Amino acid sequence: MPDKRVSEILKGARGEAARAKLSADLEQVRVKYLGRQGLLTQFLRSLPSIPASERPEAGRQANEAKAEIEALLGQRLAELRGAERRRELESQRVDLTVPGRRPPMGTLHPLTLVQDEIIEIFQGLGFAVAEGPEVESDFYNFEALNIPKDHPARDMQDTFYLAEDVLLRTHTSPVQIRTMKAQPPPVRIICPGKVYRRDADITHSPMFHQVEGLAVDMSISMGDLKGTLELFAREMFGPRTTIRFRPSFFPFTEPSAEVDMRCFLCGGEGCRVCKQSGWLEILGSGMVHPQVLSNVGYDPEEVTGWAFGMGVERIAMLKYGIDDIRLFFDNDLRFLTQFA
Amino acid sequence: MKISYRWIKEYVETDLPARAVADRLTNAGIEVAEVAPLVTGLSGVVVGAVEAVDRHGVCRVATADRHFTVVCGAPNVVVGVRAAFAPPGATLPGQTIHAAKKRGVLSEGMLCSEKELGIGEDAATILLLAPDAPLGSDLVTSLGLDDWILEVEVTPNRPDCLSVVGVAREVAALTGAPFRFPVITVKESDADVATLAAVEVEDPDLCPRYAARLITGLAVAPSPPWLAQRLRAVGLRPINNLVDATNYVLWELGHPLHAFDFDTLAQRKIVVRRARPGERLTTLDEQERALTESMLLIADAERAIALAGVMGGANTEVTERTSSVLLESAYFAPASIRRTSRSLGLATEASYRFERGADIEGLREALDRAAQLMADLGGGTVAKGVLDAYAAPRPHPRIPLRLERIRRVIGICPPKEEVVRVLQGLGFAVDEAKEPPEIVVPSFRRDVSMEDDLAEEVIRVWGYDRIPSTLPGGSLTLVRQPAALRRAALVRQALAAAGLSEVITYSFVDPERLGLLGWDPTSPEFMALRNPLSQERSILRPSLVPGLLEVVATNRHRQMPDVRCFEVGRVFRSGGPDGLAREEVRVGMALTGLRSRRAWYAGRDSADLYDAKGAAEHVLAALGVEAFDVRASAAPFLEEGRCGELVVAGEVVGWFGELALAPQEGYDLAGLVFLAELSLDRLGALPPRQVRYRALPRFPAVQRDVAFVMPEGLAVEEVEREIRQRGGGLLKSVTLFDVYAGKGVEAGMRSVAWNLTFQAEDRTLTDEEVNALHAAIIEAVTGRFRITVRGM
Repeated sequence: MPDKRVSEILKGARGEAARAKLSADLEQVRVKYLGRQGLLTQFLRSLPSIPASERPEAGRQANEAKAEIEALLGQRLAELRGAERRRELESQRVDLTVPGRRPPMGTLHPLTLVQDEIIEIFQGLGFAVAEGPEVESDFYNFEALNIPKDHPARDMQDTFYLAEDVLLRTHTSPVQIRTMKAQPPPVRIICPGKVYRRDADITHSPMFHQVEGLAVDMSISMGDLKGTLELFAREMFGPRTTIRFRPSFFPFTEPSAEVDMRCFLCGGEGCRVCKQSGWLEILGSGMVHPQVLSNVGYDPEEVTGWAFGMGVERIAMLKYGIDDIRLFFDNDLRFLTQFA
Repeated sequence: MKISYRWIKEYVETDLPARAVADRLTNAGIEVAEVAPLVTGLSGVVVGAVEAVDRHGVCRVATADRHFTVVCGAPNVVVGVRAAFAPPGATLPGQTIHAAKKRGVLSEGMLCSEKELGIGEDAATILLLAPDAPLGSDLVTSLGLDDWILEVEVTPNRPDCLSVVGVAREVAALTGAPFRFPVITVKESDADVATLAAVEVEDPDLCPRYAARLITGLAVAPSPPWLAQRLRAVGLRPINNLVDATNYVLWELGHPLHAFDFDTLAQRKIVVRRARPGERLTTLDEQERALTESMLLIADAERAIALAGVMGGANTEVTERTSSVLLESAYFAPASIRRTSRSLGLATEASYRFERGADIEGLREALDRAAQLMADLGGGTVAKGVLDAYAAPRPHPRIPLRLERIRRVIGICPPKEEVVRVLQGLGFAVDEAKEPPEIVVPSFRRDVSMEDDLAEEVIRVWGYDRIPSTLPGGSLTLVRQPAALRRAALVRQALAAAGLSEVITYSFVDPERLGLLGWDPTSPEFMALRNPLSQERSILRPSLVPGLLEVVATNRHRQMPDVRCFEVGRVFRSGGPDGLAREEVRVGMALTGLRSRRAWYAGRDSADLYDAKGAAEHVLAALGVEAFDVRASAAPFLEEGRCGELVVAGEVVGWFGELALAPQEGYDLAGLVFLAELSLDRLGALPPRQVRYRALPRFPAVQRDVAFVMPEGLAVEEVEREIRQRGGGLLKSVTLFDVYAGKGVEAGMRSVAWNLTFQAEDRTLTDEEVNALHAAIIEAVTGRFRITVRGM
C-alpha cells in the first residue's frame, strides 16, 4: 500500500523535474525535495513519529522515492546541460575553414637535413662522428694522404691558402688522419663538415660539405665497402636504388672506386640529368692506401681499411632535384622553407 | 683528350662499336666522358677535280662521270687540284646543296671548306685532297670521316693513356683482342749525328735522359690530307709537315717532342742545365719570361733556347725556311716541370704529360717515329745514330704478387691464369718461376710501385662488378656522438621549433663589410686567404654577424622584409695550435621586421631587442642553462646602451643587441635588426648540469601581484633582487608579467608588475602570514628605491 505522503512528494518531484527548463531550475527542484529542508528529507526525519507498525514500510518507500528522484534529476540534468551547451554553441558559430592558430615553426637548412640523414644511417651501422679543424696544415690535408707537393693530384683539389703550409681543408680526410694517429685500430668513423675548394660555378661552390667514412680493422675488404655503400644508397634513395663501382684514382686509396647510382630520372636510359650516361656519380671511395696506413703508424700487413667521401650538396641536389649549388648559400627564405 | 676510334683500331683488332668500347674503358677506370660521331649531316660529298678556273671564279669540276660548273672564290682553287665537292642534292651540316645562280652564273654545287663540312675551323680555303684520290668517290670513306671521337678523361696517375697507343693497349687488355704496337723503322743516312751535333746534360737530376736526332734536307710544306684530317679529328690545328709530325707522334705515342731549327743552334750543341740568375727567354708564344735558378733550360752553347718540357724558345723555332731539325725526345723530372709550369702560369700539352711522368724508355720509339715521319713528309734524311744522354738507366721494378693479398684487400681473387693474362695484356711481364710470382713493371707504368697497385690492375680489368657485396664483421664497439655535435643539434632543433630558419653562409667574408661593422680587416687577429676567388670572400669570418646581415639584405631585396634566422657554424681567429686557427662554434641569430608571420590571430608588432635577448635565452634554456647574468656591454656595430653580454658562471658566453645605424645603412637594410651570438664551445666547457628531482609541493601556494611605478633608469633586475631577498625561502617564484609606460603613468616612469608565489614546504600558509610578508617586501622595495606601489 503506497504511502500517500510519499506518493504526493514523488508526484510533485516528477512533475517539477519534467517542467524544469534550465539546469538551474533543476537545482531548485533538488533543494525543494532533497535539500536539508526538502520535503522528502523532512518526511524521512519525521519517521520516528510514525507508528511503529507503519514505519518500516513508510521508510522503505521514502528511500525508494529518494533514489528515484536522484536518478531522475541526474538524467534531466544531463539532458538540460546538453541542450544548454547546444544553444550556446549555436550562438557562437565557428568556420572550420578559418586557418588554425599555429605555433611558429622555423626550418632546418636542407644541407643539415641531408647531413643528419647520412649520419643517422652510418650511426646505425656503428660509425661514430669525428670532427676536426677547418683550417688545416698541408701535412694533414695532403702529405699524410699521399699527396706530395708538386704532384699533379693536387690539381684535383684547388686549394685556398692562408700561409705557406696552412690552408682551408679541401676534404674532411685530415680528420681521418687525426683520428687514426690518436687511436689504435679498429676505427669506424664518419667525418662531416665544411670543406673548401677554389672553384665556383653552378655545380661547384668554394665552400661545400662532405661526409667521409673510414673503417679500419683486421679483416676488411673492398667487398665490405661495396656492401656498405649499397646499403647506404638504398637507405638514402630508396630500396630500388642500383649502384655501380667504377675504377678511379685517388692518391690516398688503392684500389679506388667512383660510385655511380642508376639515374632515377630515366632509369638508366640516358637523359639530361645524367648526361645520357644513365648513371649519376654520388661518391668516391677505395681501400685506404698502405702508405696512408703507414703514415699514421698502422701496419698495412696487419690491418686493411676503406674510406669513402661524398658531397652533401651533391646528394641533396639529387634528392631534391636542385640544379644550382649556389641556392644553398644564397639563403632565400622561399628556398629554405621548402624542405622541412 | 680527344681520340679517334679509327686510329685506335689501327693498333687493336676489334669489331666492337665505339660506344661499347667506351663503356668498357669507363668501367675499367679510363673514363670516356663522351662518344660522338666525327661528322654528322654529311652525305653525297665526293672527290672532285678542278679542271678549269676563270678569273671570275667560275670553275669546271669533274667527278667520275660528270662535269659541273661551279662558282667558287677561294684562293686555293687552281687547276689540277682535287677537292671536296658537294654536287646538287648533297647535304652538309645544316644545309642541302641546290643548283643556284651565283654572280650571274648557275653554280651546280659547291667546293667545300673544312668549316662547311663540319670537320675543322678553316672557312677561307676549300679542302684539298690527295692528288690520287679517286674521282667521284665518297668523301666520308675517302677521308675516313666515318669515325667516332672519344673524349677521354685520364686520371693523373695514368699519363700512358694520354695517347692512342695507350688507350688501344687498354682496349686490347679489356676485350682480349690482339694489340699491335706500331712498327717503327728509321732509314738513316751515312752521316753520323755524333760528328754533327752534341748533347750535354749538366743537371741529370732534373733530366735523367735526353735523346736527339738530326734530320736534314727538309722542305716545309702543308701536311698531306690524311695527316691534316687525323689531327683535325682530335681537335688539333694542322700547321706544317714538321710541326704536325711531332704533334702526330705526341697523340699516337703520348710523348712530347720538340723540334729545333738546327741551323740556329750556336755551335750545334744542346746543353741541358738550370737557368742562370737573371736569365730570360722569349718563348714560342712571344712572351719574354724571367727565369729562376730552379728552372731547367735547354740551351745551346750560348743562350737559353727552350724551357725544358714546357715550351720552346722563339730563337730556335721551326719556320718556313727551316731545312734541318734537331729533334728532342727527353724525360724531365715531373716535380720540376710542375713547379716551372706553375710558377710561370704556363701549362702546355708537354708540361701536362711531363709532370705526370713520361715513358723514359718509350721516348726512343717516339723519337724514331717522328724523325722518320718528318723525313718522309719533308723529303729529308735522318742522320745516323742518336745522341742519347741516359747516364743511369732505371731498372724495372719487380713486385711479388700474392693472390692471398688480392683476396684479402678485395674480398675475392680471380684464378691465377686470369691474373697472369690480365697483367700481361697490360704490358707487365710475369715471372712465374718465383713464388709468389714476380711482376715486372713496364717503364710506361710509373704509377705501379707496390702489390696493391697490381691488385687494382687485376680487379679493374677483371671487373669491379664481380666484387661480392658483403658487410664488415668485427666486434661491437660503443658509439657515442661527440658532445659538440649533440649540442649543435639541440640548438638547431630548439631555434627551428621556435620559428627561426636555419641559414648557411660562406666562411669567408668581405673586408669592407668587416670595416662597416667597425672591425679593422687588416688586424693580424683575422685570417686572410692568400688566393681568394674575390675580395668579397677573402677573410675568414670572426663572427656570424656579417653572414647573417647578408641574409637579411638578400631577403629584403627580394621583398621579404621579415627575417628570423640563425646559423650554427665556426668562426676563426689567428693564433691557434700549430699555426692553425682558433676555431669556435657559435650560434648567431638575426631578427628583423614583424615578430610573427601575418595571420588573423597574430599581432602586427615588430621585433625588438627583447626578441634577440629571448632567442639567446632560448638557446641557453635548450642547453639546460637557467642561471645567467646580463651585463651592459658595447660593440662598435651595436647601438650604445642596447647591447648586453650574457654571463654564465662568471664567463661571457655571448651577447645580444641592436644593430647600429651605420652598418644598417651600409648593408642597405630598411628596418632595425636585432642580433645575438653565443659560443657553443664556451657553453660546452661549462660544468654539466646535474639534474636532480625535487619533491612536488604538498601544501597550497598563494599568489599575490604587485606593481611598482619606477624611474626608467632603474633596472628591473635590481628591484627583483630586492624582492627575492626580502621574500626569503617562502617566496617560491617571482615572475615579471607587465611593463607599462604611457597614459596614467608619469613621464619618465614606468609601471612594472610582478606575480609572487608564496609557498611553504611544511604547512599551509595563512593569509596573515602571506599578507605580512607581502607588505614587508613592498616596504623594503619602496624604501630602498624610493618608488611607489601603483594604485596606492
